[in-house]
Amino acid sequence: MAKFIAKRLGLCVIIFFFVTFIVYILEYSLPTSYVEKTARELATRPGNTKSAQQWIDELNAQYGMDQGIIKGYGTWLGNSAAGHFGDSWAQTMPVTELFNTCIWYSFVMGLICFILEIIIAIPLGVLAARKQYSFTDYAVTVVSMIAISMPTFFVATVLKLIFSVKLGWFELVGMQGRYYATLDAAGRFKDLANHLVLPIMTLTIVSIGGLMRYTRTNMLEVLNADYVRTARAKGLPENKVVSHHAFRNTLIPLVTILGGSLPGLFSGALITETLFGIRGIGYYAYASMVAGDIPFTMFYLAFISILTLLGNLISDILYAVVDPRVRVN
Amino acid sequence: MNFTEENGKVKHIPGGRVGNPMAQQSINEALKERERKAREELNADKTEQADPELALDSTERVKVLSPGQLVFKRFITNKLAIVGSLILIFMFLFAFVMPIFYPYSQTEIFYKYDNSLIDYAQAKERTEYTLLYLDGAPEVHYSVKNKLTATITGMEKDGIEEMTLADTDGNSYSIRKDADHIYSLYAVDSEEYASISGSVKYATYSTIGSVLTYEADAEEVSGLADAIKKAISGKQKTFTLGNDEYSLVQDKKTYTVFRASEGMNYNFEKQGEDFEALVTENEEGGVFTYKNETFRVVPAGEGLVVYRVNGESAVALLTTYVFDTYDSSFTVSDEFQVAALQASLEGGSFTAGGTDYKVVSEEDETLIYSAADSTTPVAAFSTLVIRRYSGEDTLSLDFKEQARTTIEEMNASGSKTGSFTWPIAQVDANGEYAYDENGEVIKEDRTVTITNKNGSYVMTAEQVVYLIDTFSRPTKEHPAGTDGDGMDVLSRMMYGGRVSLMVAFVVVILETVLGIIMGGIAGFFGGWVDNVIMRAVDIFYCIPSMPILIIMGAMFDALKMKPYVRLTWMMAVLGILGWAGVARLVRGQILSLREQEFMVAAEAIGLRSRKRIFRHLIPNVMPQLIVTATSGLGGVIITESTLSYLGLGVKHPLASWGTMINSVSTAEAMKSYTYIWVPVGLLICLTVVAFNFVGDGLRDAFDPKMKR
Repeated sequence: MAKFIAKRLGLCVIIFFFVTFIVYILEYSLPTSYVEKTARELATRPGNTKSAQQWIDELNAQYGMDQGIIKGYGTWLGNSAAGHFGDSWAQTMPVTELFNTCIWYSFVMGLICFILEIIIAIPLGVLAARKQYSFTDYAVTVVSMIAISMPTFFVATVLKLIFSVKLGWFELVGMQGRYYATLDAAGRFKDLANHLVLPIMTLTIVSIGGLMRYTRTNMLEVLNADYVRTARAKGLPENKVVSHHAFRNTLIPLVTILGGSLPGLFSGALITETLFGIRGIGYYAYASMVAGDIPFTMFYLAFISILTLLGNLISDILYAVVDPRVRVN
Repeated sequence: MNFTEENGKVKHIPGGRVGNPMAQQSINEALKERERKAREELNADKTEQADPELALDSTERVKVLSPGQLVFKRFITNKLAIVGSLILIFMFLFAFVMPIFYPYSQTEIFYKYDNSLIDYAQAKERTEYTLLYLDGAPEVHYSVKNKLTATITGMEKDGIEEMTLADTDGNSYSIRKDADHIYSLYAVDSEEYASISGSVKYATYSTIGSVLTYEADAEEVSGLADAIKKAISGKQKTFTLGNDEYSLVQDKKTYTVFRASEGMNYNFEKQGEDFEALVTENEEGGVFTYKNETFRVVPAGEGLVVYRVNGESAVALLTTYVFDTYDSSFTVSDEFQVAALQASLEGGSFTAGGTDYKVVSEEDETLIYSAADSTTPVAAFSTLVIRRYSGEDTLSLDFKEQARTTIEEMNASGSKTGSFTWPIAQVDANGEYAYDENGEVIKEDRTVTITNKNGSYVMTAEQVVYLIDTFSRPTKEHPAGTDGDGMDVLSRMMYGGRVSLMVAFVVVILETVLGIIMGGIAGFFGGWVDNVIMRAVDIFYCIPSMPILIIMGAMFDALKMKPYVRLTWMMAVLGILGWAGVARLVRGQILSLREQEFMVAAEAIGLRSRKRIFRHLIPNVMPQLIVTATSGLGGVIITESTLSYLGLGVKHPLASWGTMINSVSTAEAMKSYTYIWVPVGLLICLTVVAFNFVGDGLRDAFDPKMKR
């Protein structure tokens, strides 16, 4: 097992190097005119204390943009390993500081969405599989398919129209209400929670379909297995068959995939956060990408790559942990 | 799965999993043979048996289906797949066929005639006095011109009929009231008669040769030269000698010497004490008569100047009246105006430019008729200036008359608003009048509303103007309305669908081709090639594609790329980022197929590896590929529309579903223009759902083992 993990880990490190290298090449090959233009635009923004040349010099020192690709990548990697990510151009503050301020909003949203997803999707998926070809099954299949097929921005717009424009229950965008400054701690918490409802709803709707389908498919597969037939033949009550024999085996792929998506809780929601103005990491990442803020973009891309690799790693390990049959091989 | 289906006429290609084709072939032959025999027997028995009965194991009882037919049959029994297929067929017709028959293109901008509330005209009571020179009159000094209005306003306030004023050169003028709004300006012919000044020029002293020259009427003062010398050397400006004070004014080497004086200096014959008393009485400025002559006192500096008035001549007419002409070809000259105003005072007629005119005063204005035609006035004047808001004075006199009457009524009743009806011309796209087929200007009666805003009257009216038809609700011409640019929404939906479907297909084909090549090579050759390619797949799996697309989009924006160029780039990037999944799938399939008998056979008969991959392996991976590709199409459509929604994908003027929703995404627009974004959003959802349904249906049809 240790050998397996070590091997996977080594592979992850290699992949990480290549992924960041490709991302670095991408940023490196941005036209100089574009970088200069962006730096100049950013330098004229209020509250900025540095000139465009200073920004570019700093970028070069930090990211080795003025050196060759390999050497420059080395420079960036060295600096990043030492924890120096430079200052965000768009937000004019150190990247790590910005990361600290925004990551927890994303995490909280991701976590709540993750829990909701599990609570809603898995029971429905199991239900659909148990009553295959029934009305429930069709309903679940169609709903999950529609949920998968809806673009985030459309869901967000529809929810905004219904819940904030027509019903007026929640705010349209942002994280703080008009009277936020006058509220006490509990009031502020309520205000923030109120603002987070719609984005979490959007995220849940968009991501729920996949898990529902996945649960249904795996449950169907397990229900077709010989040991389930055996259990039924032995005369076990259907409930026991489903909950003891079938569902436990369905958990193998489920735990694998859910475990693999745990690091994703930190990755933020690029589109949703932007549409709802939630100051999470996705919001700042989108803003910095659009503004040509290379330091924060590079940091975000590297961060996301690590999360993806970590997710895969956790998936692989969990698969081996949960399913004894895999461990043997 | 019944017996017949499993043993159908099987080519190994689409079904994929049935091993040896030769074996299948022989079973098939055997079956056919048996059937032929059975049929012969039946025919032989026909004479004996009237109602032939099929044998239980007759193959006529069951229909023999090819694997392709089997897949098709399984597919069409899946309700969701059928729904999906129908939606897709509709979408393709909608996006690719309907635009051919639909009359509008995606970039056509529509216009309409619509009411637009405009500030049509403005009226203002004129308070500035204009100066109309009489024939041959001399130019009035600017200092007088500048204070005319102020002076007259002051006169009106105090109820003074006549006032004298002087220019900075000392010439004097007098203003006399002729009637309301009409004043006459006279130039007064006067000369400087006498003056009292604080000091009198007494002598000139030149430092060259120390020459002291006295003025003609000055008495010699002993010791003056010495005193001056002393003052100059002491740099003093003033000095005292005897009882008199002197002052020096330097001009290079010459000094002018002034002596302080209290008395009056006369330019003409000296007058008595009584005259000086009158002057002192009027030392603040004024007019007095002395010995049948008129004198005027004007303060000047420390002293004052007395002018003798010899006579006066009329120079100009001052008026707040403004002339309007009934006929735009008729020009109103200064001469005409003066003559008309003078005639109006006398209530008679006048001659200007060789034509006789008659003046008729009415309540709120004065009309001028030509003597030859007493029914239509040629011009009118009043103090109310009415102008078109746009600055062009194209208002007809009738309109002005109506406006004046209404304003008069408003003022009489003290109300702030009033209105009247007036036919207002329609304006076309160029801002010019629109004409109907008879060449007449199209006019419609509108209510002109007059509002008094602090003495200025604003006249607003609804004018029919030619506008871009933005955000029109669904109508007969535009079944889905128009968008913010005045383009037909339905047409843009069609072309947007075309873009979305095209992007989806190009991207999916690109990533499938790339994936097949990479996965095929990896799976077939194995070993280090496999290792390298699979690590590349791992890397591409890990690259965050959405951020990269956003970065590219922002960069394309900054580089101001053309819509079609960036569309091509976007498809290329999407394809390159998406091949990894296909490659992994192909490799996995090939690894398992490689071990099967038909591949061993293919190798045994000595086929080249390229042929083995592309003729024998890839076709067997096709079912899985078709399923993944179909579901992938939906995914690409979502990605494309999301990018377009963010403004980083397909750009205006190209239509795209995402862009269309984005154009109405502000809170206000979202609420008001649901008829634009809801159908478009539903189109996206429907298309993606349909692709997923069809993908699912195909998977179930290809691989029935997945079903119970």
